[in-house]
Amino acid sequence: MSHEHHHHEDEPTGLDRRSFLKMAGFSFGAFLAGCREGKLEKAIPFLIQPEEVTPGLAYWYSTTCGGCNAACGILAKNRDGRPVKLEGNSDHSLSRGGLCAIGQASLLGLYDSQRLRNPVAHGKQVTWNELDAAVRAALERHSSAGVRILTGTVNSPTTLSVINRFLARYSNAQHIQYDAISYSAILDAHTISHGVRVLPRYHIEKAKTIVSFAADFLGSWISPVEFTSAYRKGRSLNETPPIFSQHIQFESALSLTGSNADIRVAVSPQEMQLCLRHLMEIILRKAGQSVTGLTVENSFADRIASIAEKLWAGRGESLVICGVNDRKMQLMVNLINEILGNYGTTLDIRRPSQQAQGNDAGLKSLLDEIDEGKVGVLITAGCNPLYDLPAPDLAAQLLTIPLTVAMSDRLDETASAAQFACPLPHPLEGWNDAEPVAGIVAITQPVIQSLSNGRSLAESLNCWMGEKKSAYELIREEWNANIFKRTSGASTFDEFWNTAVMAGFAQVNPLPVKSSFNQSSFASVSSDTAFPAAGSLMLVLHPSLATFDGRHAHNPWLQELPDPVTKIVWDNYASISKSTAQRLNVAEGDVVAVNAGDGTRVELPVHIQPGQHDGVVAIALGYGRKGTDRFSDIGPKWIQSRPTVEKGNLVGINAAPMIAFVNGTLQYTGRSVTLAPTGRSVELVSTQEYDSLYNPDLLGKPTTERRPIVQETTLAAYSKDPSAGSFHKHEIVSMWSDDHKYAGHHWGMVIDLTACTGCSACVVSCQAENNIPVVGRDEVRRNREMTWIRIDRYYDESDGKFSVAHQPMMCQHCGNAPCETVCPVLATVHNEEGLNQQVYNRCVGTRYCANNCPYKIRRFNWFHYYRGDDMQRMVLNPDVTVRDRGVMEKCSFCIQRIQLAKIEAKRDGRPLKDGDVQPACAQSCPASAITFGDMNDSGSRIAKLMKNPRYYRVLEEIGVNPSVGYMTLVHDREEKKEVTHG
Amino acid sequence: MAEVLSLLRKPLVLDNKSYADVTHDIAKPLERKTSTAWWAAFIISVGVLLIGIAAVVYQIVTGVGVWGLNNTVGWAFDITNFVFWIGIGHAGTLISAILFLFRQKWRTSVNRSAEAMTIFAVMCAGIFPIIHTGRPWFAFWLVPYPNFRGPLWVNFRSPLEWDMFAISCYFTISLVFWYVGLIPDLATLRDRTTSTIKQKLYGFFSLGWNGSNRTWHRYEKVYLLLAGLATPLVVSVHTIVSWDFATSVIPGWHTTILPPYFVAGAVFSGFAMVLTLMLIVRKVMSLEAYITTHHIENMCKVILATGGIVGLAYATELFVAYYSANGYEQFAFINRALGPYGWTYWMMVGCNILATQFFWFKKLRTNVIWVFIISVIINVGMWFERFVIIMTSLTRDYLPASWASFTPTIIDLATLAGSFGLFFTLFLLFARFLPMVAIGEVKGVLNYGRNGKGGHA
Repeated sequence: MSHEHHHHEDEPTGLDRRSFLKMAGFSFGAFLAGCREGKLEKAIPFLIQPEEVTPGLAYWYSTTCGGCNAACGILAKNRDGRPVKLEGNSDHSLSRGGLCAIGQASLLGLYDSQRLRNPVAHGKQVTWNELDAAVRAALERHSSAGVRILTGTVNSPTTLSVINRFLARYSNAQHIQYDAISYSAILDAHTISHGVRVLPRYHIEKAKTIVSFAADFLGSWISPVEFTSAYRKGRSLNETPPIFSQHIQFESALSLTGSNADIRVAVSPQEMQLCLRHLMEIILRKAGQSVTGLTVENSFADRIASIAEKLWAGRGESLVICGVNDRKMQLMVNLINEILGNYGTTLDIRRPSQQAQGNDAGLKSLLDEIDEGKVGVLITAGCNPLYDLPAPDLAAQLLTIPLTVAMSDRLDETASAAQFACPLPHPLEGWNDAEPVAGIVAITQPVIQSLSNGRSLAESLNCWMGEKKSAYELIREEWNANIFKRTSGASTFDEFWNTAVMAGFAQVNPLPVKSSFNQSSFASVSSDTAFPAAGSLMLVLHPSLATFDGRHAHNPWLQELPDPVTKIVWDNYASISKSTAQRLNVAEGDVVAVNAGDGTRVELPVHIQPGQHDGVVAIALGYGRKGTDRFSDIGPKWIQSRPTVEKGNLVGINAAPMIAFVNGTLQYTGRSVTLAPTGRSVELVSTQEYDSLYNPDLLGKPTTERRPIVQETTLAAYSKDPSAGSFHKHEIVSMWSDDHKYAGHHWGMVIDLTACTGCSACVVSCQAENNIPVVGRDEVRRNREMTWIRIDRYYDESDGKFSVAHQPMMCQHCGNAPCETVCPVLATVHNEEGLNQQVYNRCVGTRYCANNCPYKIRRFNWFHYYRGDDMQRMVLNPDVTVRDRGVMEKCSFCIQRIQLAKIEAKRDGRPLKDGDVQPACAQSCPASAITFGDMNDSGSRIAKLMKNPRYYRVLEEIGVNPSVGYMTLVHDREEKKEVTHG
Repeated sequence: MAEVLSLLRKPLVLDNKSYADVTHDIAKPLERKTSTAWWAAFIISVGVLLIGIAAVVYQIVTGVGVWGLNNTVGWAFDITNFVFWIGIGHAGTLISAILFLFRQKWRTSVNRSAEAMTIFAVMCAGIFPIIHTGRPWFAFWLVPYPNFRGPLWVNFRSPLEWDMFAISCYFTISLVFWYVGLIPDLATLRDRTTSTIKQKLYGFFSLGWNGSNRTWHRYEKVYLLLAGLATPLVVSVHTIVSWDFATSVIPGWHTTILPPYFVAGAVFSGFAMVLTLMLIVRKVMSLEAYITTHHIENMCKVILATGGIVGLAYATELFVAYYSANGYEQFAFINRALGPYGWTYWMMVGCNILATQFFWFKKLRTNVIWVFIISVIINVGMWFERFVIIMTSLTRDYLPASWASFTPTIIDLATLAGSFGLFFTLFLLFARFLPMVAIGEVKGVLNYGRNGKGGHA
């Protein structure tokens, strides 16, 4: 594909000046503008066309995703000077080619017209010079009272070094980092157990047994793309016997990770602690350590004993992780991993992760200082404490601080309360760097002429130190001074730098970490038998898989992304189990007040969640952001339409006030709460009305039969017979076997259900690639979501065991497509390469094709859907038609990519290779679950997969001859009884 | 149309009417001053029609999204209304064509109105395939006309395309048949009217009819030929409409029983609609002597027979689903009866099967009020039959994840109401300006069941 040419094949070595300018072309404006008034902004068409731009051709830039702190490597596809698509960088050593839904959608964030574009002082727009002068003066005056810089995790070497230089100028200055979704307890626990405050880097691919205590590592925990890719790597069925890790998940709510686990144990937060403690006890005893016995009267004892057995047997090849931000639990986890010898194999603290550096204790002491009036200057950057912290008095306290500066992408809760608000550039429009994992330094380069007058934290601090430098200069200086010397190989700095910019990252020697296991930490934990009492209902707060900690709440792609588990859009809610709902006499959508003991409460609609523990209320963080009332206008307006949010209301409710500060850590789980119905009720909107492959109960005979749609089996059965779990194969008779010849290519797709985690990265990737509009909550409520690919999620509660299956579903490009025969005007036709094509211009919109689609994957433009303001429309992919109302649309197998690959192959005079064409969904999949290729090419990956005994096609028996196939979902668990095959 | 006198038959026209009486009785309502009742009915009908027009205009301007449809349920009220109205039309064709060929003389009193009903119903029906499209301004693309769009042509494999031919054919032949039948009566009106405008119009449309032997001779030949042409349409049109569903792959649609089932249902619903209209007409226009309880009873018998076929079809569908060993098929039917839209299924069964059983009793068949009530119930039931087949099959098909429910919007309801508004507006105009009963044909059966002196046996 074209990016390959750009960052690999064209100039393998010795990049000259001009080539570099080619790559960095668009960014010059950005870095020249740094810390300076009078930015060059000329709206002149290409009278003189820039040499490096060919209209209609895409250019790819390696950069780093700014969606969260995981810092996945991305390639930004540029058309006519603007990025139109982000893709995972397959050479990146962390993300390995995948990109999650948030990363995909962060592209749209660039074109958000409500981003803060200019500096604001005391509510008025000012120039940078004015702001700088005022801030500098105020700094002089108030710095003696204490300067505090509060940020989210900063793992940018440049920014850290600028911060340190800045702090060094003042006698009383500190930099405090916190994460709204905090991992502080993991780092704190390592301080105790290993003498160094680090976040380990987890090598999930190396673990044969993964025991996770509520760590949603496939969904939101630390670095989900990296972990999903690693998880997939550790669960391969290609070898005999299969190398297949067993994943055991203890959790209270149903997380995406839990929905994929081989064995999932629903426990209350309190039971979870007991289970972990019990596990530690057994492991310690096995290791010959003495431990104060704890009478764990729980029904999980047998299961934990067998897990312990397995962990012990696979010492050094197992991994225990915990997603609870609780120091004691994390310490237990560290001890278990230490005894099992996992440090150095499945988790690494010598090359630790730096993806989360927050320190809750530091945050707590800052909040105390603010409370006591001991802070003279507070600079916040890339964080939103007024929104995401449980600090109800902070807003008032901020007003008492003599100087408050907030750097943010928009006038958010914090920035609008600060005296000075400084716009931060979007990660795609400014230079930055990062060291997400020790030894992997990543570069973020601008891929568009800056749309805002933003300035990075490093630039601003540097400027206030009296030195005007652009981020680009600062980064190059830092790299020249400190990063370059950690390399081996590159001869000159320029060579090193250019290679790094081309690749988007560089591998350097990690800074040494000194750690030693602290034996005495055993004693404190093994003798600690104090555990919290069980409450009847306990709170679990978790990050949203769409808006994360709230930073993406302004992104309509993410707001409309069906939650991978609940499939609900545009809202957060209080998830409770069915029996708890019955006990409280509430139904889906009933608004309840969730009360914590100290008077904090939030009111949220109830969602009844299968698989959830009865004693738990789960609420997603990241909703109720200031300014999300903007979405009241999203969606078509007509006589019976309802707004996405009522005017003046926000999307969802902010649950951050329910976070508790306990022993200096932010506690998201375990708080005792009560639920009180308010009498109100709202309609929660989900994309899936029915959740089971079993027919509804009231309907008599066929209810016991599971629809033959998801093939599922166990690892044991698979090991005996690789075709285990296969549905009965019907003989397909065709009267027109020669109807389609497919002499050239015959495109097909295979989706491995064992690899797919349901993360929904493909859904947003497809949305970005194919110009799929956001339709608003009301349209989704009416089952009119437009996404071309959806992830069907089925709960299975048969045999008293709860399990989940995710099945991506898109146009199956049937060989005998039912849609094609029924269209009266031939608007949907078969091409000679097996693609089922939709001809928008010809479509009159009878919807007959959609009715006759057995998979119901066709999408109709019920209205003229709004595609955003002028700015937002810049995200549209020029290679794909924007559909107007009244026409049908659906997955095209990314035909524009097929055509491009064919053109490139023809230009290069070579045949099309397997892998040359990657649809957006397959490209983005962190688990590489989707394989696309030519079924006629016997050497292709897909042709091989189609011979795999796990291969099957959904609804094959009705004779539609789909081109999309699936691979049996295999779990390492006990077989369910009564599973019938159709 | 001289007939052999038979005193064994029941008279088709009561009250010892003379030829002059017939002309007078039927033409009278057209010649007198417009009644208040007609105006009231007309204003209401036009009002409802205007509501429908407003709804359709709003829908075309805004988008099909103003209906309650969704990604899973792509058709509901639109195609239900279409099939319903097409079905209504069938009684007219059956009465005028098939009963004509079978020499069922009783048809003469009702065939004119029934044919008019056919035409108006087909007009109502024809609107829906056009407005249900996402881009109605391109609906003409369904017509295979020569064009400059290169290889673009219609898809002759699509049942919707067949529909287009079936319906346009049906409409054309019904209209011509109806018009040809009207010619002698138009001439009669021409000759009677005192208004110059009416004279000119009736004169123009009666094509110079002079009542000569030759005109009658040619008229009857043409009428016979047209009846022969129209006869297959009774079977073909609804068969083709049913193929929209039968040729699909959706459980509940994909069944071979649909063609006969639809045709029987169409005749069934058509006769119910004829009865509904005729019972009002004979009362309001004092045509009791022409549309007698004998006619009513005969139509009730047709309803009973076709209702029986429909009932058998319902039972057959259930049996075949059970016998098919196809889980999807079985579920489709269990879901129809017991699922979230089960009430519509029981509406269908109750209105169409249970309600018609009353017609086994002569006493009820000849009781005008009873017949009227049951005919209305059947109309409701047949609308629901179409709704059940179309909508509930779509809501829950193969993949449970794509199941979706359907709720009509007020635009859906207004459009349905508007189609009734259109139907009644046209029917009222017809009643006002054209003879409701075929004067010439009734005269031909006047002697039925009379003795030589013209009196009853």
